[in-house]
Amino acid sequence: MRILRNVFLVAVGLYFLVPLLAMARFAFQSVPVVLLTPEKLFEGWSISGLLEVFSNPEFQKAAITSLQLMVLSIAVTLVLLLPVAALVEIRAPRMRTLMAGITLLPWVVPPIALVVGVAATFRNTVPWFLASPYSLVPFYVLWALPFSYRALDAGLRAIGARTLYEAARVMGASTFTIIVRVIVPNMIGAIIAASVLTAALVLGEFAFAALLLKETLPTFMAEFQRSEPRAGMALALAVMLLTALIIWVGVRVLRRRGMELQAAGV
Amino acid sequence: MADVRMIGVRKAFGSTVALSDLTLEIRSGELICLLGPSGCGKTTALRILAGFEKPDAGTVEVGGEDITSVPTPKRGFGMVFQEYSLFPNMTGRANVDFALKLRKAGAAERKETVDRLLTITGLTEHADKFPHQMSGGQRQRVALARALASQPRLLLLDEPLSALDAKVRDSLREEIRRVQREVGVTTLFVTHDQHEALAIADRVGVMSQGVLEQLDPPRALYESPATAFVAGFVGTVNRIPAERVDGGWRVLNRVVPGRPASEGASLAVVRPEQLAIDMDPAGDGRVTETTFLGPLTRAIVHRTEAPLIVDVLTSEFPTLAAGAPVRVRLRDDVDDVLLIEAPKPE
Repeated sequence: MRILRNVFLVAVGLYFLVPLLAMARFAFQSVPVVLLTPEKLFEGWSISGLLEVFSNPEFQKAAITSLQLMVLSIAVTLVLLLPVAALVEIRAPRMRTLMAGITLLPWVVPPIALVVGVAATFRNTVPWFLASPYSLVPFYVLWALPFSYRALDAGLRAIGARTLYEAARVMGASTFTIIVRVIVPNMIGAIIAASVLTAALVLGEFAFAALLLKETLPTFMAEFQRSEPRAGMALALAVMLLTALIIWVGVRVLRRRGMELQAAGV
Repeated sequence: MADVRMIGVRKAFGSTVALSDLTLEIRSGELICLLGPSGCGKTTALRILAGFEKPDAGTVEVGGEDITSVPTPKRGFGMVFQEYSLFPNMTGRANVDFALKLRKAGAAERKETVDRLLTITGLTEHADKFPHQMSGGQRQRVALARALASQPRLLLLDEPLSALDAKVRDSLREEIRRVQREVGVTTLFVTHDQHEALAIADRVGVMSQGVLEQLDPPRALYESPATAFVAGFVGTVNRIPAERVDGGWRVLNRVVPGRPASEGASLAVVRPEQLAIDMDPAGDGRVTETTFLGPLTRAIVHRTEAPLIVDVLTSEFPTLAAGAPVRVRLRDDVDDVLLIEAPKPE
């Protein structure tokens, strides 16, 4: 059994690692693959391609847009979703099943349908809305909903939000006070989890941005890849590492606060 | 402090009736226990008092004021929950202080009150720990101090000891009683544990299926249960067939006055300590099991009818063992028995 397990682990490891290594080689080593011999394995490595992309003003603009979208999406998610999730948990627990279903809906509707529907509505009523790159924020908030809602809901349940609410009610606290002073400080873990998931989703989302003709990091990358395949590959790797880093930092922060990931719903 | 009254309170969840026509009065400064099996409505009664549930009918009054539709935060009560429900992000002291901040008390008054409450609950040296650093008993003490901080008109305790282990439970029970007396707060204590209820309460209310069966001081409840349910739920009982004769009811060897709980009642409810045994080789009973309980020994005696549970003084029967032939009789000092209906044969 142990041997089987190890063989399986090695196989899966190779399945993920080989393409990544191949990507890295293609991106950072300027030796064509047909000329690659064991002696040349460590020749010609450089990250100049990546540095070049970083100094590309178009890239900088796209990256800043993506970071702004990330921060805004997290903010909107927390401001809108956290009170709703908290109220459902403490005031109307019977609605929880319904909410679990509703929050899955964004994934039932394909992005193209969402975009076409929304665009058709807004182009006629508020044309300026779709002109701004920030019009992506509502889409991203919706798109992250299945993850972010689950993370928040799991957090609420883990801290026993309903009895905390009842305890504070008897003491004379208003619902607003309870959410701000009792619920939120105790579910920082779940809030971090929801934020990290939203961030990872926003940094990798392509379909909405492409359909709405917005220049974000993923759409820039897709474009760039066509003219500069090697630098594009380097950038793809860098973004992948950055996203992994964000998730890793989130996980570390959760661990430090003594919270198991499962409790935060990740 | 104030009198608390629930008058004709009714509550149903869907088709389940949780409370049917509950009327309960808690006198000022009194500690009442509501006792009953799970699902008997005791928790619903407490939640209606707290304002978490709205009664379908009936009123709730405190000090003569109708508070049936007053929202929870405005009721001015204190509550302790089974699952502690301390705020995990605050120290013990901050938890207590939070209640006072909500009441907009001044800083000096707050500090004075918090210190006093932490002292009477014996928490002074643990006050600056966070809940997750405290033992269950300490957490529940903080919860008690926190509930008392705003000088509640009524203190509600929802199974406060059920999550604790046996030893802590006993000491904290005494502690709650002492603090309750010291503060003089009117208190409703909900529990499913009869020992807890009998030990702590001024009066115990036994509930079953949404009905308050009997509300009496612990001793009265034990000695003269009003209904078959109360007799069976509080303490251990034997149900012995009794026969109506001139001057009372024949129970085993004696004729005693009886109180039939209903028409057609024919089973006498007799506590194990109301029975005595005589060693008798010609006796109709045989001891099948003995349990040493310290000063008492509990014997199970099989006869032609259902087995009887008899408690005897260990000092009188030091060598009582299984197999001994005995005769069971009703003790001479029993002068009154409750009679209940025989269960219907299935």
